[in-house]
Amino acid sequence: MQRRLGLGLGLVLGIILTSGCATTTVTNSNAGDGIGSENSIPRAWDGHPDLNGIWQTLSTANWNLESHPAYGGLAEIGVLGATPPGVGVVEGGEIPYQDWARKKQQENFAKRFTNDTEAKCYLPGVPRAHYMPYPFQILQGDRKIMMVYGFAEANRTIHMDKENPVPAPIDSWMGRSHGRWDGDTLVVDAHGFNGEAWLDRAGNFHSYALKVEERFTPVNGNVLRYEVTMTDEETYTRPWKMSLLLYKNLDEAAEIFEFKCVEFSEDLLYQHLRRGTSAE
Amino acid sequence: MKIENQIRWVAKLAGIGAGLFCASFAQAELSVHHIELAVSQADTAKKWYQMHLPCRAVADRPMRMMCGGMQIELVARQSIGGSQGTSVNHISFSYPDVVAKMAALESIGVGGAGVRLQRFDDGSLTREDEGRGVHSFIFDPWGTRIELVQAPGDPVFNHVHLHSADPAAAKDWYVETLGATATAQGVDIGDIAFHISQNAEGRPAGTRERAIDHVALVADDVVATSSDIGTAGVKVRGPDSPANARGDAQRSLLAGPDGVRIAIVDSQWDGIAYDLGGQAVAEVVAIAEPFEMPRTPWGEPDIQGMWTGNAAHGIPLERPDDLAGQDLSSDQAAARREQGTLASIWGYEREWRDTTLGYDKFQASRQVALVVDPPEGKLPAITDLGEKALADAAARRLVIAAGPEDLSSWVRCITRGLPTMMMSGVYNNGLQIQQSPGYVAVQKEMIHETRLIPTTAKARPGIKQWLGSSRGRWEGDTLVVEVTDFNGRSKYRGAGENMKITERYRLVGADTLEYQFTVEDATIWETPWTGMFHFKRDEAQYELVEYACHEGNYGMTNILSAARAKDREINEPSGE
Repeated sequence: MQRRLGLGLGLVLGIILTSGCATTTVTNSNAGDGIGSENSIPRAWDGHPDLNGIWQTLSTANWNLESHPAYGGLAEIGVLGATPPGVGVVEGGEIPYQDWARKKQQENFAKRFTNDTEAKCYLPGVPRAHYMPYPFQILQGDRKIMMVYGFAEANRTIHMDKENPVPAPIDSWMGRSHGRWDGDTLVVDAHGFNGEAWLDRAGNFHSYALKVEERFTPVNGNVLRYEVTMTDEETYTRPWKMSLLLYKNLDEAAEIFEFKCVEFSEDLLYQHLRRGTSAE
Repeated sequence: MKIENQIRWVAKLAGIGAGLFCASFAQAELSVHHIELAVSQADTAKKWYQMHLPCRAVADRPMRMMCGGMQIELVARQSIGGSQGTSVNHISFSYPDVVAKMAALESIGVGGAGVRLQRFDDGSLTREDEGRGVHSFIFDPWGTRIELVQAPGDPVFNHVHLHSADPAAAKDWYVETLGATATAQGVDIGDIAFHISQNAEGRPAGTRERAIDHVALVADDVVATSSDIGTAGVKVRGPDSPANARGDAQRSLLAGPDGVRIAIVDSQWDGIAYDLGGQAVAEVVAIAEPFEMPRTPWGEPDIQGMWTGNAAHGIPLERPDDLAGQDLSSDQAAARREQGTLASIWGYEREWRDTTLGYDKFQASRQVALVVDPPEGKLPAITDLGEKALADAAARRLVIAAGPEDLSSWVRCITRGLPTMMMSGVYNNGLQIQQSPGYVAVQKEMIHETRLIPTTAKARPGIKQWLGSSRGRWEGDTLVVEVTDFNGRSKYRGAGENMKITERYRLVGADTLEYQFTVEDATIWETPWTGMFHFKRDEAQYELVEYACHEGNYGMTNILSAARAKDREINEPSGE
């Protein structure tokens, strides 16, 4: 029983800790930081910025959106369970939670190794899918933009060609997304979330009432600034903003591989129902 | 509108001359003869209509009923779908107290040949509004939608309700072509009211072979009337006396606005034993719509959009044994497919099938087998290893699951594997294709799997994956995708690590995507084989709704807890 549990946790942590997660942090400084110029932005057939490619963050946002020193995790797996330090991506430093919500976040934090939706291989939601330590690919077509993520087979379709129904016809993990161009910025309105997905491994969260405005702005051909305004009157005292950078993977072999993580979550989710482990 | 009509009418009479004048004269004599309903069990249907609606049998007319002033003729065959969604949406009867009638019907229940009641959004069975007054909807067990409206007096036939993409134009057509009388709700043909409503979703499906197959009008002189209607530019088939008709009366067939099938019969018409009607269907199938291959702005063939495999659901993989070497008439093929879908949706009601698989909007495919090569529609001979793999798979299905690993990757919400994930199932058959320069993304609704397919020369990663590794190229307007490097954990009839699948995606009409898949695995089959089916475009209504499979996999919990209960039962036999 003890041994089995250890194995289970090991598998779960296999999901949490992916290969080569860099500890480089990215600050909130704005685009005028000398990392590129407007001239170097590649253009699509219609003159809009060409966002096609495979992107990934170098931030530690997925560990904790707020600024954090390094801290430990599960003793059984040593340093693999630790969180690397990072400067937060939240404008103003802290997420403006309502009092009850901050308490809830702290409870979540304490139970993060079993309750984080990432540990269960559940769909990551928006915006989390964009700052996980997994790549995602943007497919920019002429009517829609599809984003396909390297975690849990997640994907989203951003409708550039449809009315945005409010409220969304149905709630979902990834929400419903409608986009438009504002100059060189792709602006996406996402809403219709079921409120289940966590925002990071530190237990930060939102409710079904979340409305997200995302802005994808090319800094140069290989860097996107990703800015997100989070509005959720059920959870926060005011709208708040996060900002981070996404980097293009220039490796010719780069590809979104299958990460069908369901099977690695089964020990966590169904251990009690296995033969020989249930209460017999 | 009315004035416009008159102007057009006068212009026609003045400008086109005497021939048309005579035609309009003849048309004025048209009245409704009968409405034909397709029912798979004629005897049961006759009982049903007599039990629940104001219908009575007609002496010496085994397939005819008189229903509150309207002759209903039954044809003994399975329809390809209900009347809802077609251009003859429903027929209507009046009752003096609709609420009481619905309460009586509700007490009967829906089992067997019961009555299906339509509930409105708020759960109520009856609604009252300005246009229709008190009204309700029911369905017969064979898919005909029937409205009950409130009117004093004995129950009688009330109206035929047409749905149209352009009600004003449809109304004009009935007035001008058939000499119908315009009314506030639509038209009157003879003394029968036809209401015409705007169809909610574009053009409704045609009625041919649906539960309400056609409306028959009676003319004194079928030949002259058919000829007149033909002269007005409408394609008319016949008149003739079909070989299987009872008696030698004449009939012609034509298509009205939005595909309303209309028959013109003479007064001696006595129905037909079984309407083969294959000829026109074959024409419909054979004539591919002309279209121009769409291109993306960056110059690739454009196959993007929202597709569904619904029409292909239930096509058997192999051609059934009893059909080997036979050329099927389209009717026989349709009946086969009907059996196929009904069998493979288990205990679901036909109405559920029609709506969930969208058969109320379009025709189900008539293909009798997915396998198109070998041309006999049969898989090639399998090897000894193939035999063993099939036996192993069958044995695994009988195991009491010790854990999730003993269940299929589909039950685990991991994948249906290839080629299965592309094939149609009972529901959630959406397929969204998105293109960007050099990439095609193929996303299947079920389990929300997305395949990213580069169409440039990109090296394979050499990593084994559940769905292998897909590499594509455009051969003319066909997207050819080769898939290799399967991890072999989601086997297809025993094929896994050694399997190679070659897919061909090609538009064959503006709204039809042909999908071919060739499967090779010499360890399992002696030769490669190819399957084919079509996806249909459905941009207007369909959208991929997130199929959060794993997140809501209560089935897994239930299966495993039941398996543990079974373990206990085996280990500790109950009682003494």
